[in-house]
Amino acid sequence: MSQRTERRGIHVDQSDLLCKKGCGYYGNAAWQGLCSKCWREEYQRVRQKQIQDDWALAEKLQREEEAAYASSHGAQTQSHPQSTAPQSHPGHASLGPFSKFEEKKTNEKTRKVTTVKKFFSPSSRTAPKKETQEGKTSSPSISRHASFDTDQVSKDFVDFLKNLQKPGREIHKQCRAFIVAMSSKKDLSADELSECVQDFYQNMADRLLSHYKGWFRRTVVVISSSDSVEQVMDQVEKYIMTRLYKSVFCPETTDDEKKDLATQTRIRALHWVTIQMLCVSMDEEIPEVSENVVKAITDVIEMDSKRVPRDKLGCITRCSKHIFSAIRITKNEPASADDFLPALIYIVLKANPPRLQSNIQYITRFCNPSRLMTGEDGYYFTNLCCAAAFIEKLDAQSLNLSPEEFERYMSGQASPRLNSSEADWPQTGTAPGVTATNTVLAQLNHNLELLSGLSSRQETLMEAAQSLQADLLSWPAGVQQEVNNILEKYPLEILPRTVSAIDANNVDTDNLPPPLTPQVFAG
Amino acid sequence: MGENLRGGAQLQNDTLRKSLRTLKVKLVLLGSSGVGKSSLALRFSKDEFRRTSPTVGCAYLTRVVHLRNVTLRLEIWDTAGQEKYHSVTPLYYRGAQAALLVYDISKRETFIRAQVWLKELEKQYIPGSTVIWLVGNKGDLATHRQVSVEEGQSLANDRGLFFTEASALSGDQINELLLAIAHRVYECIGVQQEGLSEWKETPLVDLRNRDKSSRLASCC
Ligand SMILES: Nc1nc2c(ncn2[C@@H]2O[C@H](COP(=O)(O)OP(=O)(O)O)[C@@H](O)[C@H]2O)c(=O)[nH]1
Ligand SMILES: [Mg+2]
Repeated sequence: MSQRTERRGIHVDQSDLLCKKGCGYYGNAAWQGLCSKCWREEYQRVRQKQIQDDWALAEKLQREEEAAYASSHGAQTQSHPQSTAPQSHPGHASLGPFSKFEEKKTNEKTRKVTTVKKFFSPSSRTAPKKETQEGKTSSPSISRHASFDTDQVSKDFVDFLKNLQKPGREIHKQCRAFIVAMSSKKDLSADELSECVQDFYQNMADRLLSHYKGWFRRTVVVISSSDSVEQVMDQVEKYIMTRLYKSVFCPETTDDEKKDLATQTRIRALHWVTIQMLCVSMDEEIPEVSENVVKAITDVIEMDSKRVPRDKLGCITRCSKHIFSAIRITKNEPASADDFLPALIYIVLKANPPRLQSNIQYITRFCNPSRLMTGEDGYYFTNLCCAAAFIEKLDAQSLNLSPEEFERYMSGQASPRLNSSEADWPQTGTAPGVTATNTVLAQLNHNLELLSGLSSRQETLMEAAQSLQADLLSWPAGVQQEVNNILEKYPLEILPRTVSAIDANNVDTDNLPPPLTPQVFAG
Repeated sequence: MGENLRGGAQLQNDTLRKSLRTLKVKLVLLGSSGVGKSSLALRFSKDEFRRTSPTVGCAYLTRVVHLRNVTLRLEIWDTAGQEKYHSVTPLYYRGAQAALLVYDISKRETFIRAQVWLKELEKQYIPGSTVIWLVGNKGDLATHRQVSVEEGQSLANDRGLFFTEASALSGDQINELLLAIAHRVYECIGVQQEGLSEWKETPLVDLRNRDKSSRLASCC
């Protein structure tokens, strides 16, 4: 799989996608490359330490505070430049840096890295602890990082709502209240969480609808689509789901993660499935088609990196459009559903998208339902669900193979290539039959042919170079030879008369005046 | 492909007023491979094919239909008809307001197949939530007919379905079918309001499509 994706120019190694702890589940960049379970453990541990550190820091500060109460604070402010609060509230000294941090973060919206570095670099800490070195650089920085993205989304949301004036403020209030309410419901099952979110969407949409209806009655103005309920709902979804993502994506209460692993393993075991077995009408020999296939694979892999359900849907839609293009270029007519589903299955098998099941579940649970059941995005999403379901159930019949063949391929005892040269189909044992049954091997053969072609060309080149070298080496000798020949043919004759005539001229030159010399004028 | 709908511009003012309320309807095409699902989908959306991008194929198409006091935006979902995908097709008709069960009148096995689909559909759906329409396609191939009109009609009667014979090739009965579906969907489900989600769109889009729609509206 990895070689194949590499060949296509996607530099995703499966091992990069797995949890860094090596537990076998998928890791996630947002979780520092860990899976949800390991991340939670790690995060808990680090947070515990953080709390202890902060506490120790607070105590230390307080002691220093008390010691220096009567005198000046000069020495202390140097090591802790941000603690301006202690004078008034010595007991809350440890809160100083945090509130400052919040302020800073909003001031330097664009400079998150610097801010994070500044705050967590040892110099801004009064008491750097040796045992927290590791933890400090991992978990807290993740949460800061994530909160920056979240802040940007919040800001965009507020900007968007500003245009809606009063209803906008109401929407914002509702959303914030909902997020707070959700944070106290961590123990709910995934379905219950989904129900909460869906109820919220429904209520919000109903309110918006009645609001707009009232508005229509009062005005004859043609509504602009930017005011439509769906648009507002998209923004609401974006805001809410960005905030809730971490606690509701692949929650511990479900076996989503197990399913992900099962699907991943299944797809790997199906590595031998060829484009012909699936009857896909895409010809990857055409560069433009192959380009679209690569893009489709990239898009479906990218889905995992998005937080908002609708953004994930967007990846699926982009992937699907690339598939449509690939089919259209191959067949020279628009693709129909009969062509599309097999092609999507093929793309999913090739991409082995990370956490496929978790992503499908997450979208199903938390996407605005009107986007899922209907609309173009909904259509493509449904097809992806079909593809995932099909891959799970895929058997010999669905690939037009005999059960024995299927078993042998699955167990790795045979590959489609080997099989075709075996006694099963002796008549197809020759090269054309083989190329027809297996693209990967065909590609390999093709590459080998290219390579041997190249090496023979290189040999020719080498020979030519050597003969050129020999030519060059023999050339001076040849020239010498020719010169000698000519010298032999036309020996040099010295004619004394002419020589004397020249000599006579030379004598004449003695009488010439001396050459002119430059003169310098004083001036 | 055959005759085209030609609209009268005289009704455009009505259309403009009507366009404020648009309901989304999900219509799924089911049936064996080769019965003409894709051809029907193309027929339904003909001249109303709103390409979001020129590269998109004909698996998902839309068609706007104007009724007397409402506009329906039909979203036509074509499905893969190959037998090996039957097990996953229920995913397609989740939340559909209309399902078209298509068979080919010149191929008996497609009619048998349609009854298998129907059993599947009935397992999943509460009667009344989805309008199920039995469609005998390729009506133009009457000389090769293997399924009589009566057979189709009686299956529909037995199972409480609607029935139409049509031809995607000649265009025969296509518009009638489309309008009848729209009416039934609106009658059965639209009245409950919750069943259909409201869809706002700028009247500008409707202006572009008004010709056929007004014609359609006038013929009912
Ligand atoms: N004679 C005739 N042929 C049709 C009709 N509808 C579709 N076809 C043909 O039947 C074949 C299959 O059609 P298609 O729409 O791809 O079927 P699908 O597999 O169900 O999507 C194509 O060759 C069409 O041209 C029809 O009404 N009459
Ligand atoms: Mg088709």
